[in-house]
Amino acid sequence: MNERPTMIEFQDVHKYYGDYHALRGINATIKAGEFFSLLGPSGCGKTTLLRTIAGFEEISSGAVLIDGKHMEGVPANQRPTNMVFQSYAIFPHLTVEENVGFGLRRERLAKDVLARRVGEALEMVGLKGYGARGAHALSGGQRQRVALARALILKPKVLLLDEPLSALDKKMREQMQVELIKLQRQVGITFILVTHDQEEALVMSDRIAVMFEGEIAQLADPETLYRRPNSRKVADFIGTMNFMPASVVSESGGRIEVDTQGFGRVEIDAAQAPGATTGNGTSIGFRPETLTVLFEGQVAADRECMATIEEVVYFGDMTYYDVRLDGMQTPVRISMRNVFGRPVLDIGTRTRVAWSPGALVLFR
Amino acid sequence: MKIPVLRIYTIGYLIFLYAPILLLPLFAFNDSKVIAFPLSGFTTQWFAQMWADEQMFNSFKNSLIVAGSASVLATTFGVFAARASTRYNFPGKAGILGLIMLPLVLPEMIVAMSLLVVLLAVGVPLSIFTIILGHVLICTPFAVAILTSAFQSLDRSLEEAAYDLGETAWSTFRLIILPLVMPGIISSLLIAFTISLDEFIIAFFLGGNETTLSVYIFGQFRFPAKVPAIMALGTVLVCLSICLLTIAEYFRRRGIAKTGAKDTGGFL
Repeated sequence: MNERPTMIEFQDVHKYYGDYHALRGINATIKAGEFFSLLGPSGCGKTTLLRTIAGFEEISSGAVLIDGKHMEGVPANQRPTNMVFQSYAIFPHLTVEENVGFGLRRERLAKDVLARRVGEALEMVGLKGYGARGAHALSGGQRQRVALARALILKPKVLLLDEPLSALDKKMREQMQVELIKLQRQVGITFILVTHDQEEALVMSDRIAVMFEGEIAQLADPETLYRRPNSRKVADFIGTMNFMPASVVSESGGRIEVDTQGFGRVEIDAAQAPGATTGNGTSIGFRPETLTVLFEGQVAADRECMATIEEVVYFGDMTYYDVRLDGMQTPVRISMRNVFGRPVLDIGTRTRVAWSPGALVLFR
Repeated sequence: MKIPVLRIYTIGYLIFLYAPILLLPLFAFNDSKVIAFPLSGFTTQWFAQMWADEQMFNSFKNSLIVAGSASVLATTFGVFAARASTRYNFPGKAGILGLIMLPLVLPEMIVAMSLLVVLLAVGVPLSIFTIILGHVLICTPFAVAILTSAFQSLDRSLEEAAYDLGETAWSTFRLIILPLVMPGIISSLLIAFTISLDEFIIAFFLGGNETTLSVYIFGQFRFPAKVPAIMALGTVLVCLSICLLTIAEYFRRRGIAKTGAKDTGGFL
């Protein structure tokens, strides 16, 4: 990953709409051939940032570089990027072929060359034989594919995807996620995806920038983001995170000793506190699947504590237990994969819970 | 027995609306100079008389020139205004649009009188050109209203997509925006054409020695002997209107079928 050259570089990018500060000093680099996601709630500036790459938004200060070139003053129709729009923006008065070949119009290709390239592009997105259809007669998933083919046929350096899957139903969305990943590997083009769906970002991306209120809160690969979020906000936004009041007792030689409400005194690695001090109080966070409800005869691999089950939510393949650890006022969530032949526990059951200090994250 | 009030009302309303138009062909083919029942026999002499009237052809030609120019000009201005109002924000936008739409509610008499005063003061000779000026003024608000709704229903990202795919602002307009608002443009042309063709006051005030069809017809009513020929002319006009509407509706439906949009009613 590290040897890959830089494709996009943001240098202290600011964007104002009147008084509204939409982008607040974005600094980031996106590497060539990377599947990069901008993830955040609506209004966080992720789409604005994407549009500054495309050239649809002018930045107020800072610089955007694509493949080492400053993009200031370069209009959208001359940038080496193409975009898949949220609404797909399929031209309704043209056929599928005409839509896909639209960007090649200016190259004045011979008819057979054009037809061949359009055919290849359609085949790549699995729409072989749909060329002559009217664009308006397509389903959501097919429109999406046409939009992809139309953008990729120009062989851009960067493909920008603005919430491309949000209009599809769940099944179609999951199918398209896999197809997009395959397609990206196949063409090797840098993909930049904007999404508010954390699951989608985790599934598809090489790296993710989590954005809140015009700033990048954390930029990391999906695993780091999930296991070591650098703030409670990021932790909350990506998946489910349990929080437990805690206080730091001592800190030395890369080890931190923490006094927690539910787990007592724990020693953790300094890497488990990736965030800066925010002054909003100290707490320990852990994911629901890092705890295990222990059944009779099972032994904890690491540590265990006692708890009372307060709520049970059965999901078929999973069961969510909300349990109150002894010594804590609020319950924490544990997610357990259901195993055949093992009962689902009832509310009120006293049980042992296994946990591990290595799975904790410290927020200060 | 219950009286179907609403049904009677509806039928009565439709009779009131269309029966007079049905009288036109009836008397156009009636062999009598008097417009009254009972009918006295079939003839086509009124059509022949109308056909031989050079003044009628002249004013018909004037009307076509005026309505054609006014509808094209008003629609062109309408495209500019609709594009500006749906796409850009600029200071005083609401006020400017309000002023553009104002002639819609302004009595035509006032428009006609004030234009006449100004034109005479400036020394512009009255001709069909001055009628066109006046008609553009009253047709433009209709064009703006129709075209604004056409431009509004246009997804902004279609434009951006074309731009993103390498087209310039102008080629994007030509290749994407124009074809997609074409039904609106056709509606606007038709309505402006109809309004201009019908219009009397401005044509009468600003025409000078030139007469349009509406002014000519009004003038002919002073001579009872000419009235049957006017009936014949009216019959021809009704037939032309029906043809025009049919063509317009055909294109509207074809446009809808082509873009797959939902049919939301007549072209008006």
